[in-house]
Amino acid sequence: MDFFNPVINGFSVVLEPMNLLYCLIGVVIGMLIGVLPGLGPAATIAILLPLTYSVEPVTAIIMLAGIFYGAQYGGTITSVLLRLPGEASSVVTVFDGYQMARQGRAGTALGLAAIGSFIGGTAAIIGLTFLAPVVAGFALDFGPAEYSALALLGILLVATISGGTKAKALIAAAVGLLLATVGRDVFTGESRFTFGSLQLADGIDFVPIAMGLFGLGEILYNLEERHRAAKAPSKVSNVWPSRSDLKQASGAITRGSVLGFFLGILPGGGATIASMASYAMEKKRAKQPERFGKGAPEGVAGPETANNAAATSSFIPLLTLGIPANATMALMFGALLIQGVTPGPQLVEQNPDLFWGVVNSMYIGNILLLIMSLPLVGIFVRILRVRAAILAPITALITLLGAYTINNSMFDVSLVVFFGVLGYLMKKFGFEPGPLVLAFVLGELLESSLRRSLLVFGGDPTGFFTRPISATLLVVFILVAVLPGIRSMLARRKGTTAAAASAVNGTNQNIKEKV
Amino acid sequence: MKHFPSRRAVLGTASAFTLLALTACGGNVAGGAAAGNSSKYPAGPVTMTVGQAAGGSTDLIARALADGAAKTLGAPMPVVNKPGANGALATKEVAGKPADGQELVLLTASLITITPLAVSKDEAVNLDDLDIIAGLSQDDYVLVASQGSGFKSFKDVTAAGRNVTFGTTGVGTGSQLAQTVLFKQANVQGTDVPFDSGKPALTAVLGNQVELATIQLGEAMAQIQAGKVAPLLVFSEGRNSFLPEVPSAKEAGYDVPVAQYRAVAAPKGTPQEVKDKLAAAFKDTFKTDAYQEFNKKNLLTPKEISGEEVVTQWKDYAAKYKSLVEKYNISLSGNK
Repeated sequence: MDFFNPVINGFSVVLEPMNLLYCLIGVVIGMLIGVLPGLGPAATIAILLPLTYSVEPVTAIIMLAGIFYGAQYGGTITSVLLRLPGEASSVVTVFDGYQMARQGRAGTALGLAAIGSFIGGTAAIIGLTFLAPVVAGFALDFGPAEYSALALLGILLVATISGGTKAKALIAAAVGLLLATVGRDVFTGESRFTFGSLQLADGIDFVPIAMGLFGLGEILYNLEERHRAAKAPSKVSNVWPSRSDLKQASGAITRGSVLGFFLGILPGGGATIASMASYAMEKKRAKQPERFGKGAPEGVAGPETANNAAATSSFIPLLTLGIPANATMALMFGALLIQGVTPGPQLVEQNPDLFWGVVNSMYIGNILLLIMSLPLVGIFVRILRVRAAILAPITALITLLGAYTINNSMFDVSLVVFFGVLGYLMKKFGFEPGPLVLAFVLGELLESSLRRSLLVFGGDPTGFFTRPISATLLVVFILVAVLPGIRSMLARRKGTTAAAASAVNGTNQNIKEKV
Repeated sequence: MKHFPSRRAVLGTASAFTLLALTACGGNVAGGAAAGNSSKYPAGPVTMTVGQAAGGSTDLIARALADGAAKTLGAPMPVVNKPGANGALATKEVAGKPADGQELVLLTASLITITPLAVSKDEAVNLDDLDIIAGLSQDDYVLVASQGSGFKSFKDVTAAGRNVTFGTTGVGTGSQLAQTVLFKQANVQGTDVPFDSGKPALTAVLGNQVELATIQLGEAMAQIQAGKVAPLLVFSEGRNSFLPEVPSAKEAGYDVPVAQYRAVAAPKGTPQEVKDKLAAAFKDTFKTDAYQEFNKKNLLTPKEISGEEVVTQWKDYAAKYKSLVEKYNISLSGNK
C-alpha cells in the first residue's frame, strides 16, 4: 500500500476548504473563458499568474489547472449552441454539434460532450496517477545529457506538430531560442545581448513574455474583430442523452480517451490536436462516414472526450520531467517557478503533497464541472453579451498591474507591452506564439544541459549515446526529424497508384449517390 | 445573470491585490519625502529590499529580521524582492535612494567579494556606495561527494590522481571560488560544471552526474544526514557547529576560507542617529528567541558584528580572494 499512501494524502490536501474553493474558482473561470471566444486558457492563466503569488503553491496550481480543463468544457457550449467555438480545441465540435442543435438535439449534444469530457478527463487522471511515479522513478538517472536530448526532442516536436504552418512555427521557435540566450552566460559570466543593462543581466523573465504574447497580444488581437451581436442560442432541453445515443457514442468516448491521453503526453500535442485527431478517427471508422457534419453524436462525443483527456495528460511531462508539452503547460511551469517549486523528476518525491494534491484536484474539478456545466448553460451563453469594449480594457489593466507585482519592476511592465505588441503582430501574420514561448523555456534548458554534459564528457559528444536514456531519446529525435521526409518520398513514389485508388473511390461514391 | 458577480469578484480581487501592492510602494515614496528630520525617524515604513527571489535563504533572513526590527522601530518593515544580477540590481537601486534610513537592502558578501572577480566592472557593486548598518550571519559551504565517486574524505580525492568533475552553484559564487582554489592548492585536476543554484548541483551529485559539489550547508544537510552524499570539508575558518565531525579546509592544510556572509546596508550618507537607531533595533532582534531559533533551523552561524567590522572584514576577504585568484592564475569565468 506504500504506493497509495501519498495518493490518499493528496486527497486530504484537495479537501482543505481553501483548495476546494480555489478549485471551484478555477473551473468556473475556466468555463467562463471557454465560453468567451478569443480569450483562451493560456491567455487567462498568463493574466492571472501574479494573483497566485499570494497563495500556497498547491492551491495556485489547483486553480490554474482548473482553468485549463474547465475551458475545455466551456468551449463546447458555444460551439454547439452558436456555432462559435470558444476554444481552438472545440472547433471540430462545431461540425456535428451545431447540426445536432439545429435538429433540436442541442441538449443531447451538450450532455454527450459533458459525459465524454468527464470520462476522458477521469481516464487520463488515472493514467497520470500510475504513469507519473514510474517516470519519476528514473529521476536520478536524468542528468544533463538526458535533459539536453529531451529538450532537443521537445523543441522539434513543438515546431513540427503544433497547428499552423510548419515554417512559421519553426521561425517562432527560432526567435524563442534566440531570446533564451539573452542575459549572463551561466558558464562564463559573460553578458550576452544585455546592451549594458543590468535589468537584462539575468535574461528575460518568462512571465512577462507569456503575459505579453498570450495575454496582451490576445486582447489586442481580439479588439480587431468586430463585436458580434449575440445570436439567440438554440433551446436546450433534455440534456440526458438517450440510451441509444449513449450506445452510439460509447465507442467514440473510449477511443477518444485513449487517443487524447497519448496525444496529450506528446510535446507539442495537447487538446486541440487531440480533438482533431479524434474527429478524423471517428469519421474514418464510421460505417456511414457521410453522417458526419450532419449531426453525428460520435462527432461530438469523440473530440470532446479527447480534448479533455489530452488537457489532463499533458500534465505528465511537466510534473515528471519538467518539460512543458504545450504553451499552457509552459505557463504552469512559470507558475511553479514563481512559487519556488522546480518541476522535474524530483517533484513526486520531494513535494508529494503538491504533486498528488494537483492530480487529485482534477477528479474533484471534473465532478464540479459535470455538475455545473449542464444547469448553467443558459447563464454562460448570456456572458457572450459582455461587450469587448468593456472586457478588453479591464483585462489589459489587470495584466499590466499583475506584471508589475511579480518583481516590483517597471521594466517588466515595459516588457509585457513590448511582447504584447509582438504577440499581436505575430497573430496577425499567422505566427503562433506557442512555439516561441516553448522554445524559450526549453532553450535555456537545452543550452545549459548541453554545455554541462559536454563538460562532464570531457568534450566528447559520443557520450550522449553511451547513456541509455539519452541515446533512446536521440534516436527518437532522429526518427521524428527524418520521418516526414521519408513519408513524402514514399508518397511521391506511390503517387500514381494513389491517384488510381482515388479514382476508384470516386466512382464508388458516384454509384452510392445514384443508388 | 447569477454569474456576473462572481466574475466581478474575481476581477475585483485581482485589482485589489495589485492596488494594494502599489499603495504599499506609494507609502514608501511618501516616507522618503518626509525625511531629512532624523529625530522623527522612522517616518513611515522602512523598506527592506532583497536582491534575491522570495523563498531563498537571503529572503528568509530578511523576513525574520524585519519581523523583529519592525516591533522595536514601531514602523512596519515590508520586505520587497527585486531579484536580478546576483542582487546587484537591488543594491544599486537602494544605493541611489535618499539617505534617510527609510530604504535598506540586505547585502550578501559574495556580491562584494567574489562577483567582481567574474563580471565586468559596471556590473559589480562598490561597498563605498553604502553604509553598512550591521552584520548578520554566516552561511557555510560544504564540499560533498557522490556515492559513485567512492570519496569518503578529501584525502581520497587528492590520492585519486585523476580528473574529477565538480559542480558549482554558478559562475562568480563562493562555491566556485572555494573549489577552484582548493583544487589548485591540493594539485587536483578538476572540471568545473556550473549549475544555476545549489539544488540542481546537489541533484547532480545524488545522481552521480558529477563527483563533487560545494553547496550551502542548509541545502545539503538533509542528504548528508540521510547518508546519500559524503561531506568532505567545510570552508569556514573553524569547524561548523552544525557539522562538528567534518574538518575545515584550514585544518586539512588549505588556505581557502569562503563562506556567505550577510549584512544590512543603507544608502551612503545616512545620518548617524538613524544608523544607531537601526543598529539598536537589529540588536534587539538578535536577542529574541524567535530569531535565534530561525538561525538554528536554517543552520546559520550568527555573526552579529558592527557595520565598521563588516566593512573591514569584507574588504579583507575581497583582497584575499583577489590575491588567491591571481596567485593560482584562476579565471572564474574560465570555461570560455
